[in-house]
Amino acid sequence: MRPSAGLLCLLLLSAPVDAVPADDLLSPAGHSLAQDPVLERGRAIYESLCISCHGANGSGTTEVPAPIFGDRPTSDLADLVTRTMPDGSPEDCVGDDARAVAEWMQQQFYSPEAQARLNPPRIEFSRLTVSQYRNAIADLGTSFKWKVEPGVERGLKGDYFASRDFKRDKRMIERTDAVVNFNFGAASPEADKFANDEFSIRWKGSLIPRETGWYEFTVHTENGARLNVNDHETPLIDAWVRSGSETDFSGSRFLLAGRVYPIELEWFKFKEPTASISLFWKAPHGVKEVIPAASLIPENSPEVLIVESPFPPDDRSAGYERGTSVSKEWDEATTYAATEVADKVFAALPRMIDEKGDRDEKLRAFAAQFVERAFRRPLTDELRETYVNSQFAAAKSLEEGIRRIVLLALKSPRFLYREPTGTDDQFDRASRLSFALLNSIPDPPLLEAAQQGRLADEKQIREQAWRLVNDYRGRARMLEFLRNWMNLERVQEIDKDQTAFPDFTPEFAADMRVSLELMLAQALDADNADFQRLLLTDTIFMNGRMAKFYGVDLPEDAPFQEVKFEPDKRAGIISHPFILSGFAYMQTSSPIHRGVFMSRGILGRGIKPPPIAVAPTAPDLAPNLTTRERVTIQTSPEVCANCHGLINSLGFALENFDSVGRYREVEKEKAIDANGQYLQRNGEFVRFAGARELATFMARSDETQRSFARQLFHHMIQQPILAYGPDSIAELATFFKDHQYNMKHLAVEIACGSNSHGWKKTSEPVAAAETK
Amino acid sequence: MNNRRHFLKRLGLGAAALPFISNLSAFASRAALSSRKQRLIVMFSPNGTVPWDFWPDEEGETFILKRILEPLKDFQSRLLVMHGVCDKVRGDGDNHMRGMGCLLTGVELFPGNIQGGSDTPAGWASGISIDQEIANFLQSKEETRTRFGSLEFGVMVPDRADTWTRMSYAGANKPIAPIDDPYQMFKKLYGQVKDREVLTSVLDSVQQDLKRISQVVSAADRHLLDEHSTFVRSMEAQLRQSRSQDQGHAVPELEPGIKEENDNIPQITKMQMDLLVNSFVNDFSRVATFQITNSVGQPKMHWLGIDESHHELSHEPNENKEAHEKLTKINTWYSEQLAYLVRRLSETPEPGAEGSLLDNTLIVWGNELGQGNSHTLDNIPFVMVGNGLDFDMGRSLRFPNVSHNRLLVALAHGFGHHIESFGNPEYCKDGVLTGLT
Repeated sequence: MRPSAGLLCLLLLSAPVDAVPADDLLSPAGHSLAQDPVLERGRAIYESLCISCHGANGSGTTEVPAPIFGDRPTSDLADLVTRTMPDGSPEDCVGDDARAVAEWMQQQFYSPEAQARLNPPRIEFSRLTVSQYRNAIADLGTSFKWKVEPGVERGLKGDYFASRDFKRDKRMIERTDAVVNFNFGAASPEADKFANDEFSIRWKGSLIPRETGWYEFTVHTENGARLNVNDHETPLIDAWVRSGSETDFSGSRFLLAGRVYPIELEWFKFKEPTASISLFWKAPHGVKEVIPAASLIPENSPEVLIVESPFPPDDRSAGYERGTSVSKEWDEATTYAATEVADKVFAALPRMIDEKGDRDEKLRAFAAQFVERAFRRPLTDELRETYVNSQFAAAKSLEEGIRRIVLLALKSPRFLYREPTGTDDQFDRASRLSFALLNSIPDPPLLEAAQQGRLADEKQIREQAWRLVNDYRGRARMLEFLRNWMNLERVQEIDKDQTAFPDFTPEFAADMRVSLELMLAQALDADNADFQRLLLTDTIFMNGRMAKFYGVDLPEDAPFQEVKFEPDKRAGIISHPFILSGFAYMQTSSPIHRGVFMSRGILGRGIKPPPIAVAPTAPDLAPNLTTRERVTIQTSPEVCANCHGLINSLGFALENFDSVGRYREVEKEKAIDANGQYLQRNGEFVRFAGARELATFMARSDETQRSFARQLFHHMIQQPILAYGPDSIAELATFFKDHQYNMKHLAVEIACGSNSHGWKKTSEPVAAAETK
Repeated sequence: MNNRRHFLKRLGLGAAALPFISNLSAFASRAALSSRKQRLIVMFSPNGTVPWDFWPDEEGETFILKRILEPLKDFQSRLLVMHGVCDKVRGDGDNHMRGMGCLLTGVELFPGNIQGGSDTPAGWASGISIDQEIANFLQSKEETRTRFGSLEFGVMVPDRADTWTRMSYAGANKPIAPIDDPYQMFKKLYGQVKDREVLTSVLDSVQQDLKRISQVVSAADRHLLDEHSTFVRSMEAQLRQSRSQDQGHAVPELEPGIKEENDNIPQITKMQMDLLVNSFVNDFSRVATFQITNSVGQPKMHWLGIDESHHELSHEPNENKEAHEKLTKINTWYSEQLAYLVRRLSETPEPGAEGSLLDNTLIVWGNELGQGNSHTLDNIPFVMVGNGLDFDMGRSLRFPNVSHNRLLVALAHGFGHHIESFGNPEYCKDGVLTGLT
């Protein structure tokens, strides 16, 4: 027997396991199902009419293998049963019967909470994720140097010399330059200070990149230049010798967000007819641009220990990166990475220890400290023997000993796994706290606090948590979460029809992304770090190019600044031009893409991939239909409508915005219909028209707040939240509300609230409730 | 952005999949198919020579070595002293720059921003150098391909990339930096073997620790550590296997902690030469350059009792006998270094064949100038040693003011690479340099 169309529909209500939001909206904790007459009736119906195809607890049978679970409200389920079930004779189960069986299914096995009860999630023993590994190495290196927190000043320090060799006594100007982008023509920087045919400039400071990834640097000059990035010894670009007609010189570096990298550009002019120098980069998701002042600071910083070795990507099937599996490729990657780190540590040793005095003694101390910081706890005598002393003893020289120790430490399970000893002492607390808030190993002050017993109580832990969340790295971590939460990785490159939108260039698309980043940062950096501001703000950041495109009054070369932008029509991120354009087609809007973004990302609903592949109806095949009309017709078949009813009616509320995010009131000579609605998980409908009403609903919806809290938890902790108790989502959501939706407060609460829970040493399955 | 990662991979750096599983001797066994391995070393010393203490008075097979070449006496029958070979390349740059940049490229420098003396400023050479040309030729064929193709050794080369410090070019505007740190060279040559050694010995501790941690972890989580442990075991097995293959490789021991500074030049030179000989034994490369300091090199040879720097002395007029006595000593010292290298090669058996490494290696010793005080590019003090190419050795030759490009062509021909010209073809009109075979 083949499942008929009706059967398929019921299956569609289930979502793949990775997309199920483990929400507890409907969870009657401790509720006894058997005592309720309605539920008793539902159970009886399920067992007589449904179980033969769907199996016990909806787990599926060979005939209908797909298990049933999801996040639809009971009324939706009942409606579906009434219309389609049992297969072939839906009239056998309608009305109160359908409602009873739907209610029973909901509570017995359908809802995420029921699923969590049937298969209790647990805290799994895990290894470091790839980003944790890279961060840990970087911070391990930095712990032996000094730490730089960017101040408010931006740009690079520039020293200008009236010679070609940076002679100190020839320094004529000392100043901070916002960017390096100069064209002196045949002249000099200042006529009375320099000869026209010979001068040089050194720019120094640090880079503060926004995102993790490969950065391609380009120096453009017809003169001589040398660029060092995160490496004082070897230039990334050495174009000191001008030779031939080349003027562009490039090189790449892998940089981690939340760290500060030294940069130095030396440049000179000697007898060439003209002089110019520009410093560009192409950041991940960016275009080639003059490195903006926002990413440059005049302070010096030490080199960051970067692991460039490739790793296989982490498992993200649960919706967040986690380290609960290992593979041969991963094991090999850790070996290559360990040798890479050993090489780099070796090269950087002179800058990591003071080599004056008793060098041997210092090297030995360094080695022991390196291992302790990598393991996030002091070494027992036994471990010190294994990891340090016996390695020195086996080596022919002290240097070889250091190499052995670094390799061994980084291959050790004590480095590679999270809290591997299961001790649950203050060092484990420090480690959990730091990984939650910085995605990295504890810094020296935190380890010191653990050492001195200053992580004994909730208050002390909370103090440290606040220190970390306000750390520069902590901020980068939160911004990374906001990008994940908004699914920005799905918006890689935005292309628009060049005939219809000739001004929509890659540079313009990059501006929009920067504008959105600034909106995220502004909400996070505000004193109240108000989450609702992300959805409700009536301002936006624009530069001259964006302003011109959207008809806002700014000078063409204006830098990014906050402006009011159609405040009655727009609200926060959902009507930000980057989101509207990113979730749209080349010529037309896409209520479906926008709807999925809001239902899955913001409201946290489990939406599964379309059951059948449907090519969207091309707009020119339906020349008289508006986008809304076209999408409605296209998704009207029963098999589509189950999800699209939810998706489309959210997306329609943004129909006032076209493919490039411009406001419109008319499409195809018809007035835009921006009415939308949403069936909440409690079974109640809400209706709204336009972006602001929709945003207001979402900002106040506890579905949004729970989803945000749940996703932040997973991002920070990399363990299933329901393993921390059946009510953990509800409790976090309440906390969030009680603290005026302060995102940092929420992060601190997550880090502290989960801090006392580690993986279980016993072999018995742990009931979720027990961990509370 | 994958380029860099691929690049790293190729280099065998961080990303390499190679280091722990590949067999370094794979190339060597293949090479055994060929009739004989041919090798080339170009050694460089700076600032011209002292002609009257360098050039033999006689021409032909019977000649008496003067003071500077005296250290090579034992190898006189394997020597070619080549008077009359001139660097005729002109254009931008001073003679020190052109002498260096054109020595192995035979082609003009690009105009640029680097100026010495009063000549016009210049940039890099506008073509490939002969060592790289030959290395590319050898790498293009399966039977002569080696792990590195070419190796560029240096001794106290200043830490700046400019026309005076580079003689080897991968192409126009593509100078190759010599490695002047023996430890870095060691790492390049044997780092993987060393890492294998170290890893083999530490993985056992990793394995034990995995077991210990496994005991506290619940059954549900233990599989993770069990799997991990399997991978570590399989890596251990791989390492053991590669290690037994490594046994055939002579890994030299370097004295630790020699700093890169002037007074350590003799020690560094010896370390680098030992590494070079070793790399040939392991057939890591068939082509090498050996650059002692740089054009306008400033070593102060305190160990010879000379406190002035070489370049300063080289400007002294011929009449300054005291200065020239020192310059002769300095050049004799370079010659002694060459003799050390030659001796090492002659004492090292050719792996898998009859004879010594020297029987299959040609060393060309050159300089950026003929003489320091005149800055002449005529009569570059070229000496060749060894029987790597089928040249008729054991002679003092006098050429009638020939262009050195023709010598570069002859080197290529010696490897069976029959190019018509090299560098600027203007200087190759008379064809390959004759009289060598």
